[in-house]
Amino acid sequence: MPEGESGGGLIHVSIKAEELFRIGPLSVTNSMVGAVLASLVLLVAAWYFRRRATLVPARVQSLIELPIEWMANIVSGSTSQWRRYVSLVIGLFLMILVANWIGLLPGVGTVGTNVTHGEETELVPWIRPASADLNFTLGLALVTFVVFVFWGVRTNGVGGYLKELVGEPRYMAPLMFPIHLISELSRLISLSMRLFGNVFAGEVLLGTMIALVPLLVPAVFLGLEAIFGFVQALVFALLTMTYITMSIAEHAGAGHGDHGEHPAQPDQPPHEQAPNEPASVHA
Amino acid sequence: MDSNLAAGLAMGLGAIGPGIGLGIAVSKAMEALGRNPEASGAIFVPYVLGIALAEAIGIYALVVSLLLIFVQP
Repeated sequence: MPEGESGGGLIHVSIKAEELFRIGPLSVTNSMVGAVLASLVLLVAAWYFRRRATLVPARVQSLIELPIEWMANIVSGSTSQWRRYVSLVIGLFLMILVANWIGLLPGVGTVGTNVTHGEETELVPWIRPASADLNFTLGLALVTFVVFVFWGVRTNGVGGYLKELVGEPRYMAPLMFPIHLISELSRLISLSMRLFGNVFAGEVLLGTMIALVPLLVPAVFLGLEAIFGFVQALVFALLTMTYITMSIAEHAGAGHGDHGEHPAQPDQPPHEQAPNEPASVHA
Repeated sequence: MDSNLAAGLAMGLGAIGPGIGLGIAVSKAMEALGRNPEASGAIFVPYVLGIALAEAIGIYALVVSLLLIFVQP
């Protein structure tokens, strides 16, 4: 593809992760190195702070606990069964956050080996942020997809789940079933494409800015990308939570979409909040 | 050449809608915050989700233009 390469005059852009070496039939790409690095960071941090954890947190420990408590606080507001998926949501959040921020470290994406293809020589970086590879984000989105379909089938049964797909007026089924099916599958695509598009576009933006103005200006965009990396990790985790909540909450209406949800939702919060609200007023 | 032009057009035109949508979402959220600052916790999660869903449309445009550049028809 000569025209695709012509964009590489200023910077080299590769939409797919480059292969570093092969282990038998398995080709190890630089984004896999990034993913393993992110996992290692999380594993080492978990092992280290698990060993030194105290009941009353010290300074560093409370800094680590802060985002986890904050996420758990948000997730606990979703449904009464939040304890069963809170670890998935926080795990996704931390993994994507670390994977995004690894891409901002110096040396990532710039240190590598030169590979010659015919006449052109291009740099193949050793580490590429894992979320700038569609395989990683699609894998995470598949996990989310399987989990929320599993929760839908578990709470409604297979029949209830299919009834949800068919929709309310039964005679509209030939029209509505494909639409609902596509909207379920489009969650998979939009989840993975959003994360990949944001991180990949961020990498290209940073590369372009460093190539155009090497001094000071990239620092601004580096800060911007740090915020975006956090927001995208949060969005992925919160969307996972919302999809699971939706597939659980649809059960409350006994299979009916609109009629069931409205009486059910005002019903539950007053039961939980009624003891709380007078207490907080008195306090 | 043609597909590069198409990619630029796809991204540029595709960014108009999400841009307007994000502007409306942020302005309404800020308005709500100004009226009722204590509701920031309740506003935050739906706000981030709405932002993400509006932004997804822009990402679709990005995907189309990436396909036009890297996957030559």
